[in-house]
Amino acid sequence: MNEALITLDNLSIGYNNQPVLSGISLSIARASFTAILGSNGSGKSTLLKTMLGLLPPVAGRIATTAAGAPLVFGYVPQSIQFDPVYLLTGFDVALMGVYGRIGPGRIVPPVERDFTRECLLAAGADGFARKRFAELSGGQKQRVLIARALTTRPDVLVLDEPTAGVDREATKAVLEFIAQICTEQKITVLLVTHDFASARHYAEQVIWLHEGKVIFGPSAELLTVERMAEMFELGVA
Amino acid sequence: METLYQILSPDFLLRNSIYTSVLVGFACPLVGVFFIVRRLVFMGVALPQISSTGVAVALSLPLWLGVKLTEHSSHSTHTLAFVGSITFSLTAILVLAFLERRGRGQPEGRLGTAYVVAAAMSIVLLAKNPYGEIGWLDMLKGEVITISDFDLGLTAAMLALVIAVLGLFHKELLLVSFDREMATILRKNVMFWDVLLYVLIGLTVSMAVLSVGPLISFGFLLIPALTAHLVARNMHQFSVLASVIGGVAALFGFCIAYRWDLPVGPTDVVLLGALYATVWIVARLIPGRS
Repeated sequence: MNEALITLDNLSIGYNNQPVLSGISLSIARASFTAILGSNGSGKSTLLKTMLGLLPPVAGRIATTAAGAPLVFGYVPQSIQFDPVYLLTGFDVALMGVYGRIGPGRIVPPVERDFTRECLLAAGADGFARKRFAELSGGQKQRVLIARALTTRPDVLVLDEPTAGVDREATKAVLEFIAQICTEQKITVLLVTHDFASARHYAEQVIWLHEGKVIFGPSAELLTVERMAEMFELGVA
Repeated sequence: METLYQILSPDFLLRNSIYTSVLVGFACPLVGVFFIVRRLVFMGVALPQISSTGVAVALSLPLWLGVKLTEHSSHSTHTLAFVGSITFSLTAILVLAFLERRGRGQPEGRLGTAYVVAAAMSIVLLAKNPYGEIGWLDMLKGEVITISDFDLGLTAAMLALVIAVLGLFHKELLLVSFDREMATILRKNVMFWDVLLYVLIGLTVSMAVLSVGPLISFGFLLIPALTAHLVARNMHQFSVLASVIGGVAALFGFCIAYRWDLPVGPTDVVLLGALYATVWIVARLIPGRS
């Protein structure tokens, strides 16, 4: 296992100082693939937003190990949250990822535009990058958002249910691509999902939020039929 | 065409009025684009009215303080009106935006109440003001007739500042409008950019209200942007087209009003409305545009 990149130390998460989950202590290794599993309302999004710095922790701390600079997160939100009123192409949306490296009032240099095109190509989104983002299919939007996350040059790629509303074939293609860049580019991946089968197939470790408890461990150990039956209190013949 | 040549002549008596109308016509839609994409159309209705209430309050101050105004103190009157307008606009937009972000209550109800109370308050204040006849009611109604060189200069300077800042920081303002979470993750100061946008909106609305009145300001803020949204392919086209529609409508509206002796501001708005309806129908007739 690689060195720990993110360490949650006795972390409590929630809203308005009211904890949703408490006592979370775990480490996420560099260049690992981690799935965050749980049912609706289990606290997956709250945990993700706290790790991204969008929500302050109620208690405890999040320590990161990065050389000199703060960790760069490439965030892939759910594509349904974007308002179609914006007349943005796929390229425009992907280009936003480079804004973190460009000062206020400065124009985007050609080198960053070229890099955005490379990321769109890598994410398989170059074919529809000139189309309006709002008019793309769910799978196409996810690819553009993955390209946008890659343009941030991330240390950690964070995906919030990237396959929600996406058909089976597109889901498989998106997850294959994420697993591939995790391996090839040594990027740490955090994937929020409902899908236990995908988590077992692609993730090395799992953060499982279940009835107020946080269970962390290798997916091969946690996502066995016996362990899942035990968790869901099902009888296994 | 003859009317157009006539009003564009440097000797034209109402040249300051036409310049002001066109300036407002070009600038307001650039801010209006953000009203559309941020779904703040109702705020676009309420804000000019609240701004005009600020004018009424400011112009009532001398009366309340026992200071006598004359017809010759137009610079100080205009400055007072500007201070009242900008104070009310900025306070209103910051308070309404804060309440909107808290996500409690009914935003439409708040904006509707703010609009109707502001409109009523303007009328009450000016009805009890003996100086109301010295052109102030005309200003609030949008009679773009008596614009001094000072007023034109102030309007041009303020609107140029707004356009320059909007152009310079367009990518930051667009990012925080489109995806606040992404902007936060990229370590952008979302609050700062929000406040900057609100200040630009407040400045534009104030200048527009002082020049053309609340009704016409609302028309220029929203109708050109709504029209441009029907045909633009990207955000750049959206802003440029909205601005061109506003500026050209202001010019031709003035021509029509001058030619047929109609009130300028309402003529502009009717022209914009007709253009919006036409573009809406044409856009639906083009395959793939509906």
